[in-house]
Amino acid sequence: MKKTLIKFSKGKGVTLVIVIAVVVIFFSILKKEYLSWDNIRGIMYAMSLTGTITCGMACLMMSGSIDLASGAEGMMGGLVCAMLIARGMAFPLAIVLCLLMGAVFGLINAFLSNVMNFMPFIATMAMSSVWQGVGAIISGNSTIMITDRAFWKIGATNLWIFPLPFIVMVVLLLVYGWLISNTKIGRQLLLCGGNRNAARLAGINFNKISTIFFVNNGVIACIGGIILASRMHNGTVGNVVGAEMDGMVAAIIGGVSFLGGGSSGMGVLFLGILMLTCFKSGLYIINLNAYWMVCANGVLLVIALIVDFLRERARLRSLKAAPHSQKS
Amino acid sequence: MAQYIEFSGIGKAYPGVQALKDISFRASEGRVVALLGENGAGKSTLLKILSGDTQPDEGKIIINGEENRIASPYDAITKGISVIYQERQLAPSMSVIENVFAGDLPTKRFGVLDKKKMLQTTQEIIDKFGLPIDPEDPVGRLSVAYQQMVEIMKAYRRDSKIIAFDEPTAPLTDTEIAILFRLINQLREEGKIIIYVSHRLAEIFQITDEIVVLKDGRMVKTMVTAESNESDLIRAMVGRDIGDTYSNLSRNENIGEVLLEVNNLNNDMVHDVSFKLHKGEIVGFAGLIGAGRSEVVRAIFGADPILSGEIKIDGEICKFSSEKDAIDRGIALCPEDRKDQGLVMWRDITDNISMPVLDKLMSGLFISRKKSEDLAERAVEKYSIKTPSLDKIVSELSGGNQQKVILGRWTSDLMDTRILILDEPTKGIDVGTKAEVYQMCCDFAKQGIGVIFISSELTEVINVADNIIVMHNGHITGEVRRAEATEENVLALAMLD
Repeated sequence: MKKTLIKFSKGKGVTLVIVIAVVVIFFSILKKEYLSWDNIRGIMYAMSLTGTITCGMACLMMSGSIDLASGAEGMMGGLVCAMLIARGMAFPLAIVLCLLMGAVFGLINAFLSNVMNFMPFIATMAMSSVWQGVGAIISGNSTIMITDRAFWKIGATNLWIFPLPFIVMVVLLLVYGWLISNTKIGRQLLLCGGNRNAARLAGINFNKISTIFFVNNGVIACIGGIILASRMHNGTVGNVVGAEMDGMVAAIIGGVSFLGGGSSGMGVLFLGILMLTCFKSGLYIINLNAYWMVCANGVLLVIALIVDFLRERARLRSLKAAPHSQKS
Repeated sequence: MAQYIEFSGIGKAYPGVQALKDISFRASEGRVVALLGENGAGKSTLLKILSGDTQPDEGKIIINGEENRIASPYDAITKGISVIYQERQLAPSMSVIENVFAGDLPTKRFGVLDKKKMLQTTQEIIDKFGLPIDPEDPVGRLSVAYQQMVEIMKAYRRDSKIIAFDEPTAPLTDTEIAILFRLINQLREEGKIIIYVSHRLAEIFQITDEIVVLKDGRMVKTMVTAESNESDLIRAMVGRDIGDTYSNLSRNENIGEVLLEVNNLNNDMVHDVSFKLHKGEIVGFAGLIGAGRSEVVRAIFGADPILSGEIKIDGEICKFSSEKDAIDRGIALCPEDRKDQGLVMWRDITDNISMPVLDKLMSGLFISRKKSEDLAERAVEKYSIKTPSLDKIVSELSGGNQQKVILGRWTSDLMDTRILILDEPTKGIDVGTKAEVYQMCCDFAKQGIGVIFISSELTEVINVADNIIVMHNGHITGEVRRAEATEENVLALAMLD
C-alpha cells in the first residue's frame, strides 16, 4: 500500500489531482451550482458513460491499437437493445444479445486490422460510419422508446449515494486494472504494445491478444450504450456517438500512451476521466455556447496529444541516452 | 591546377568506440577512389562526415587548397558534394523531373515553376547519359537501377564536383551494374572527383583508380589499383592482432549427435541452404551484411515463410507456422536488433526475462510477482547483469547488460532451449563484455545446447565457432572447421562473386 502511494505521488496522479482541484474551484467560483448535489450526480452519470468507453479504449491503446468506432458501436448497442425490448423481448435476453453483437463488432475490427492489415485508425473510422448508417436505417432515424420499467432501473438504481452506472464503471476499472497487472494476458497486452516485434519473437501471439481486446472493446462499448439507453428510456442514433473522442482524451490524460505499451495504472486513468468530466460539466454549467463546447473538446484533445507527445519524447530521449548512461 | 579534396588526420569518436582515427588521403579530379573495408571499418562514418551529416572531432577537410567545414547536408551540396546512399532519397510519386530538381526548383516571376526549363534540362541530362528514361515518369515506377541513375542525375544537375557512392551495386543485377559503371566512367572523363565505397573486390578492380583500405577506423594502406591484386587487398583488410581472448575460452569438447538438420531451404532471400547442427556444437555464420544469414535463421525460427526445403530436429521433420511453435520445440532466437526486436525497452528486467514463460509463472489465475522476480533474480546472478534492482527498465542498462537480459530470457531454468540462435550478439557492446558473451556461448554448448552464432566480425566467428558456414547472396559458399579457418580464406568465400 505504501509502495503504491509513493508510486502515485511520483507519477501523474498528483498533477491530475491538482488540475482537478483547480478546475473544480474555478467553476464553483463562477457558478455556485457547480458544487450542488444535482450537478455532482450529473458528473457521476456523465463519467459513467465516458469511463466505461475509456476502459475498453485504454486497453486497446495499451496494445497499440485504437477503435474510433467505439461510439457508434455503443450507439448500436443501446439502439438495438431498445428495439428488441420495444418488440417485447425480455430485457436480460436483449442485453445478452446486444453484448454478443458488440463482440461481433470487435471481431470485424480485429479482422480488418490484423488479418487485412489495415491501419486500425482507418479501418475503425470506416466501421464507425458503417454502424451510424446501419443505425439510422434500422431505426428509420427515429427515437425508439422503451417502456419496460424494470429496464429503466439499471440506470436509475442507487447504491448509497452512487448511481449504479457509476458503480459499474468503477468496478470495470478495478477489474481491468487488476487484470492488466496480474494476469498473463494483461502482461502480454503491455508487451505487445511495448514492442510488437519483440513480443512476437518471444512467442506471444500478437493477433490473438489484439483480437481479444478489440472484442473486449466492442462489448464494453455496448455496455455503455445499453446503460445510457436505460437512463434515457430510449435508443436513438445520436446517443453515444462521439464518445470515443472523450474516451481517447480521458485515456491520454489518464496516462495511457497513444503509442502503446504504457499505462500509469487505473487510479490515474480514473482521475483522467474525472478531470475530463469535471471540465466538460463546468463548461456546461456556465452555459457556454454549444459551438464553443465542441471547440473546447477539440482543444482538450490537442492539449492531451501534446502532453503525450512530450512524454513520449522524454521517453525516447531516455532510450537514446541509455547505452552511455551506465558503463558495464 | 587539378581540383582535389583532401582528408587530413580525420578522427571521430562515438561513446565507447573510436570510429575513425588519423584518416588522411586525397582524391583528385578525374579519378575514382575506392574506400574498402570490412563491416564496421568506418566507411559509413567517413561518408557521413563528407555529406555534413556528422562532424569530425579532429582533422581537416581541404578542398582545392582551402580548409572547409561541412556543417550540414545542405552545406555539402552548396560546396559541390553529393553523396548517393544505398537508400535512395527520392520522392517515389513525383516525376523524374521533379526529383532531379528537388530542393532547387527554378521559378519564373511570382514563384511560378519554370516547367519548360525543368523538362529541357532533365531531357538534356538523360540524353547525355543515354538512358531510356521518360522524364515525366514517376520515379517509383522505375527499376531500382534507374532510380539510382536519377540520383546521379540529381548530383549532375547540381553540378557537384565531388560525387560519393555508398555500395551502389548492392541492389543491382549484372547488366544494371554495367550501366552504372558506364555512367561513372562518363563522370570520370568529365573530371569529377569520385569516391566509391564497396566491399566487392571484383568491382574495385573494374572501376577504381586508387584504393584506400580502412580497418577498425584506421587507414591501413593506400594503393594504386593497377598495381595491386586481390590477395594484397584481403591481407590489408584483415591483418590485425588476435588477442588472448579466444585462446582462454573454456570450450566444449563433446559434440553429440545431430540436433538440427536443414535441407535445401529456400525463400525469397535464401537459396538452397543446407547444414547440420550437433548437440553441444557452435556453428558460426560468416558473411557480409546482406548475405542472408539473419534470413536463414528467421526462416528456421518460423518468423519468415519458407518456400521449399525441410527442417529436422532430432531427425523429425518440423513445420513451424509461427514463432511460438519454434519456441515450443526448443528453439530460441536472440535477434540482431536488440531494441527493435529483442527487448521491450521501457519495461523492467523482470518483464523482459519472463516474456516467453508467463505460463509457468502463474499461481492460480494470476501471474505470481514473486515467481517472476525469483526467475529474474536467478538470471541476474548467473550472468552478473549489472543493475541496482530488478525493476530497472531495460533501456537504462548498457548494451552488454541488455544482451545478457535476452540471453537470460532464453536460457532460464524454465525454458527448455535446445537450439540457441544468436544474431550479432556482440554488436554495440564493449570488449570486456564481448569476452563474457563468448564464454557464455561455450558454456551453453557444454550444457548440450546447439548454438548458432552469426556475426559480421570475422575474427569473432572463426574463433568462437566450431564450424563456420560462409554465406554470400543468400547461398552457402563454403563450410570451414575452426582449425582450418583463417580470416583470409573465410573472407575470400564471403566475397565470392
